[in-house]
Amino acid sequence: MSSVAAEAHHDDHLDDHAHSHELSWPQQLRANRLGLWLFCISEVFLFLALLAARFYLWGGERPELSQGLGFITTTVLLVSSFFVFRGETAMEHGDRKKFLNSFVLAAIMGFIFFVGVVVLEWNIFGLELNLFGIEWFGHLKPSDGVFGGVFFAMTGMHALHVLSGLFLIYVVWNKGRRGEFSPEKHWGVEACAIYWHYVDVVWVFFYPALYLIGRT
Amino acid sequence: MSELKASAQRTGVYVFLALLALTVVESIIGALESPVTVLLIIIALVKAALIIYFFMHVYRLWREESH
Repeated sequence: MSSVAAEAHHDDHLDDHAHSHELSWPQQLRANRLGLWLFCISEVFLFLALLAARFYLWGGERPELSQGLGFITTTVLLVSSFFVFRGETAMEHGDRKKFLNSFVLAAIMGFIFFVGVVVLEWNIFGLELNLFGIEWFGHLKPSDGVFGGVFFAMTGMHALHVLSGLFLIYVVWNKGRRGEFSPEKHWGVEACAIYWHYVDVVWVFFYPALYLIGRT
Repeated sequence: MSELKASAQRTGVYVFLALLALTVVESIIGALESPVTVLLIIIALVKAALIIYFFMHVYRLWREESH
């Protein structure tokens, strides 16, 4: 066998070897899902640590926070989650227009939540407003002992995840706009939806822990 | 196809309304003189379960399915 023929044979062998390790799309999808869920589970430990800090340091007490503002931001995040679900379902059934609209609405709601926490609740501009019986600006500061420290650590870490989720929504929306997803293949949409709902699940536990459990 | 889509969207609306109702209930409990912590935790767990099952489709992890 000439050296060229031997090399070609060697390359064929390598190709066969590589193909034997290639996953089919359903297998790949399953692996993707498992990977994303494992990532979410790994993040659970981070948020559990923050919750543990809250219950250890605050015990049966909580700071005076605006109940109205907490309820509104929580509701806005739930609405955002609904729109992500609506968008994912639309993509599954080939309705690209509805997918794009839903993801825009989800991003707007997510941004309102972010503003509600970072601008209003953190009160970064030091404002005061009482409208419709709701205190629209918080008064807690990071330097306010364990109340301030825990509150800002929990809401800050969550807000960071909201921000990264908003970036993901934009990336997926843009890809969807360019027609990169189909009813058969739209893992990006599904992954983004899972991540966004995960951020919502975290807030489902943070909201009662910060605003409702304990006495002021 | 459109019937399936409508059914999925309907499920989403029902789940969202349930989540909203539970949020209202927990905010009412939280406003009480001494909020029942166990009840608030149970409500949070139910809300999380609804999101994880219906919105995050956790059951797909065990299914050999494509999109």
